[in-house]
Amino acid sequence: MDMFLYIDKETPVHRLDPRTKLLLMFLSFVLALSFRSFVILSSVLVAVLLYGAAGSALSNLRRIRVVLMMIASFSVVIWSVATPSDSRFLLFSLEGLLYGVMVAIKTDLMIISGMIFLSTTKIEEIAGGLVKLKLPYRGAFAFSTAIRLVPMIVATSYTIIQAQKSRGLDLDSGSMLQRIRKYVPLVIPTLVSVIRGTNVFSMALESKGFGYSDVRTTLLELRMKRTDWLTLGVALLVVAAAFFFNMDSVAYGACLFSVRSGS
Amino acid sequence: MNEVFSMWKKTKMVVLVALCAGLYAALLIPFKGFVLIPGVTEFRPANALPVVMGLLFGPAGAWGAAIGNLIGDFFGSLGIGSLFGFVGNFMFAYVPYKLWINLGLVSKQDKEPDLKSKRKIAAYVVVAILGSVACALVIAWGLEVLKLVPFAALASIISLNNSLPSVVLGIPVLLVLYPRIKKWDLLWTDIMDEEDIPVAGGMSRIGGFFMTTSILGGMIGGLMAALGAGQAFLYKGFAAGGDVGSLGVLLVAGIGSVGLVLSSFIQSMPGKK
Repeated sequence: MDMFLYIDKETPVHRLDPRTKLLLMFLSFVLALSFRSFVILSSVLVAVLLYGAAGSALSNLRRIRVVLMMIASFSVVIWSVATPSDSRFLLFSLEGLLYGVMVAIKTDLMIISGMIFLSTTKIEEIAGGLVKLKLPYRGAFAFSTAIRLVPMIVATSYTIIQAQKSRGLDLDSGSMLQRIRKYVPLVIPTLVSVIRGTNVFSMALESKGFGYSDVRTTLLELRMKRTDWLTLGVALLVVAAAFFFNMDSVAYGACLFSVRSGS
Repeated sequence: MNEVFSMWKKTKMVVLVALCAGLYAALLIPFKGFVLIPGVTEFRPANALPVVMGLLFGPAGAWGAAIGNLIGDFFGSLGIGSLFGFVGNFMFAYVPYKLWINLGLVSKQDKEPDLKSKRKIAAYVVVAILGSVACALVIAWGLEVLKLVPFAALASIISLNNSLPSVVLGIPVLLVLYPRIKKWDLLWTDIMDEEDIPVAGGMSRIGGFFMTTSILGGMIGGLMAALGAGQAFLYKGFAAGGDVGSLGVLLVAGIGSVGLVLSSFIQSMPGKK
């Protein structure tokens, strides 16, 4: 399984500073959470998808399509059944259906935005960007090292599983609960083999001067360029416009579906 | 709470943060498909790890749980709720090791988390459940503030989803890991400087009591306020609907969450000359 989300391409989005991309992701969360208007939410979703297309990152959405569809289905079904309403068709109400669609768009929008960020930003850039945002270097180092370790740990556990299978462990038969119980003894060798390397890892870091000085130079030089400031300016204008138009509820009253007024 | 920041000067602790985060994320990601609430939480056997990591590695386990959960979120549930997930999972590992020391559940002369006695196993169960509830309180309160998910439903689901693996799976994992971690000198109390390790004492007891009260008060009070607002437990919470974002829930659960953080600062430190 390819665990890396980053797609190595040369696109305008890839060339943006990681701080810009982080802020764009954050602004998309703000927009997703602040509005109930289908017009605004759908527009933001389209904008995010266009941004993802500009970064050639939409292919990664295939990896999470099941999660996105489950969120949408769960939202629509649950809210259309649960929302109080005087008129129903079987168990479902129109207000609940619309509310469920709105919640589905909000949640999927945030997940897609996060996935685009990860698809267009290298781990080193994420760590470098966090340091530029004044996160302590050691914290950013631990974060980027942990991300790099995940595929290695998965590979280790896979090797352990294969070794146990060759000794007669049957992981494929039995109910879901029985199969999960069979995996439990395999967790411990994985934990032990990973944690065993702590002392050697620490010595290797210190032998290379880790922690020697608080002032560090870095191979990756991050600088905000004109395109970054322009992109941020446009994004902030879009956010301001969204809030402005949302306040003008007369113009959009016909399009607003407010199921729970005042909440 | 001092040790949470002073631990970063130790290279071994930084490495343990990375390893704990990587392990937690590696065990979370394969189960992302076993969804309980889409975009929010899923069935998580990996929840056996935070309590164990907290007891063995202290603040490194807490940071590792927080970062590992965030990395796991990258694979299907990254959103604004991830911020509360970060804090919640930090508390999931932090609360157990704080209360192990502060609440007086184990003997002062033998505080090692080796589970070699019934008292220690009982203490483990208590701190694991309190850690699970603390995590649920923070996350459910956060998503109630954002009006995304009803507090009662989410808090009850997360409490169960955290408690069961941490108790059922965590005990055998800790029993097996402790002797090895001790032999390799990787217990957090063996790595950190003595002046940075909180000790049991009057202030620690007060802090532990305050922390437990905040967790239980915030959760029980929040649930009562949520039920009063028309919410319901577990999946019935979604069918019941109810008022998401009601002031009562926000206040009570919010006070519990804030109290949980503030109580971490009340502890006894070794006397400084």
